[in-house]
Amino acid sequence: MMPLAGAEFRKLFTTRLWLWVLLASAAWATGYCALAIAFNTGNSGLMPPLSGAAGQHALLAIGPGGAGPLAGVLAAIGVTGEFRHRTAATTFLATPRRGRVVGAKLVTYLLAGGGLALASILASLMVVLPWLTAKGIPIFLAENGNLSVLAAVIASAAIFGVAGAGLGALAGGQLATVTGMLMYLYVAEPLISRISALHGWTAYLPGVAADGLTQATQPGVRFLTPWLGGVVFACWTAALAAAGTLRTVHRDIT
Amino acid sequence: MMDEAGRIVASGLTKRFGAVTAVDDLSFAAGPGMVTGFLGPNGAGKTTTLRMLLGLVVPDAGTATICGRRYAALPEPGRVVGAVLEAPGFHPARSGRDHLRVYCTACGYPLRRADQVLEIVGLAGAGHRKVRGYSLGMRQRLALATALLGDPPVLVLDEPANGLDPEGIAWLRDLLRGHAVSGHTVLFSSHALPEVEQLADRVVIIYRGRLAGQGTLAELAGDGEAVSVRTPHTDQLITALAAAGARPERTGPESVRVTGMAAAEISRIARLQKIDLHELAAHRSQLEQVFLRLTTRPAGEEPAADHPRGDLA
Repeated sequence: MMPLAGAEFRKLFTTRLWLWVLLASAAWATGYCALAIAFNTGNSGLMPPLSGAAGQHALLAIGPGGAGPLAGVLAAIGVTGEFRHRTAATTFLATPRRGRVVGAKLVTYLLAGGGLALASILASLMVVLPWLTAKGIPIFLAENGNLSVLAAVIASAAIFGVAGAGLGALAGGQLATVTGMLMYLYVAEPLISRISALHGWTAYLPGVAADGLTQATQPGVRFLTPWLGGVVFACWTAALAAAGTLRTVHRDIT
Repeated sequence: MMDEAGRIVASGLTKRFGAVTAVDDLSFAAGPGMVTGFLGPNGAGKTTTLRMLLGLVVPDAGTATICGRRYAALPEPGRVVGAVLEAPGFHPARSGRDHLRVYCTACGYPLRRADQVLEIVGLAGAGHRKVRGYSLGMRQRLALATALLGDPPVLVLDEPANGLDPEGIAWLRDLLRGHAVSGHTVLFSSHALPEVEQLADRVVIIYRGRLAGQGTLAELAGDGEAVSVRTPHTDQLITALAAAGARPERTGPESVRVTGMAAAEISRIARLQKIDLHELAAHRSQLEQVFLRLTTRPAGEEPAADHPRGDLA
């Protein structure tokens, strides 16, 4: 399994895509944090004051949290790229046990997602720490449960990486996978979770469960607790990964 | 196990895509020490057959083995079989060298093997360039380099001459010939008869998914090319041509059939001897006749003829 994961990492790092995704994630993380700090008056109603735990959680969950969906996109593009560029055949010639190839991809994008989140956290902290200190607002990562939020952001992005890889292996088509995933996360799910009749169970949808994990909460939407959200999101992801593996193992590579 | 070393065996292979039977109860074998051409018109089922050999497509019936095992059951397939697929795929933004190094890592070969195979296929100078800048011929060479990574005794190549210029085809011939001469196995597909005649020792002909014939080039080609000549001076011509080493035979009062000599040479000798020729026609080789007869069979002749005639173009 180790050589296969090594080969997948080599695939990831021998094109520039990872770099663009990293830059996008860091730009979102720093941009969001800069705007949130600049416009946080403490009583805007959009965001709790940054001097308190709730405000700091939101800042750290939403800024670096952008790494999650981007990790999913990176993984989906990487996995479907094998079919788009017809390298899947060469890959499966080198390793006919396709389940192991998919497994190596899942591991690779789990780690890539975690790494992307870590890099985004470091980028956002370079904005958050000096700026809040200059504004006289003390922020300590070890306090207010901030470390748990950052750990949840890393876990969420790692799971997103696996989910994107699983979805890519299941769907196969690159454009369909990426647009489908983004449409689901940013159009379908927000609409569904605002239907009050469904209020009881929308928290269990994958994207909402992921937000529960990081506590990147929005007003008017019900979220699970971090642990439960993490478990639910991981279950959805495991189902996607299993379905994607089955499909890849049994499909004809023509 | 020993007698299966280097042998490719397809037996009863069948694959249907929906209502279309792409490959129909196909059995053939290719052995070590020679280059086997897998010949058939476009759409005959060559690619599907080779992909079944390589475990990429699952047959509906039949088995395909290489060295006595299914491809997927080979312990280290890359060290046994090197494959070039039709229209080989590469990530356009990855360099040729990185492409090869990915598969070095996956198969546990040292990374320097990538540079070695680039050298073998003549791409050493282009290895650092992204594949999107490669010509068709360079991609074909990179695909071959990928196949050679594990230094495999068996080569399975789908239309390897596609995109190669005449120099590239000559290079490919030397490579395949060298591989076969050193006791290894080469099976390559082609829809172009001249390519097969140039590269192969033995031919397996497939048409509409079925075996249409197999044998060595010599077996299929019979006496080789024949030239028919019409002249009022048959005796003179026969004497002159026989003296020059050809095998002329009288086929009528004014006609002679000549084997063992090209039409141009016959014409030159006749001119030197001041013999009038009224007609000089080179016949196609028997292999070509066999191939054309097999591949221009009218639609509807076979019960499973659900391919439109246009497929055969």
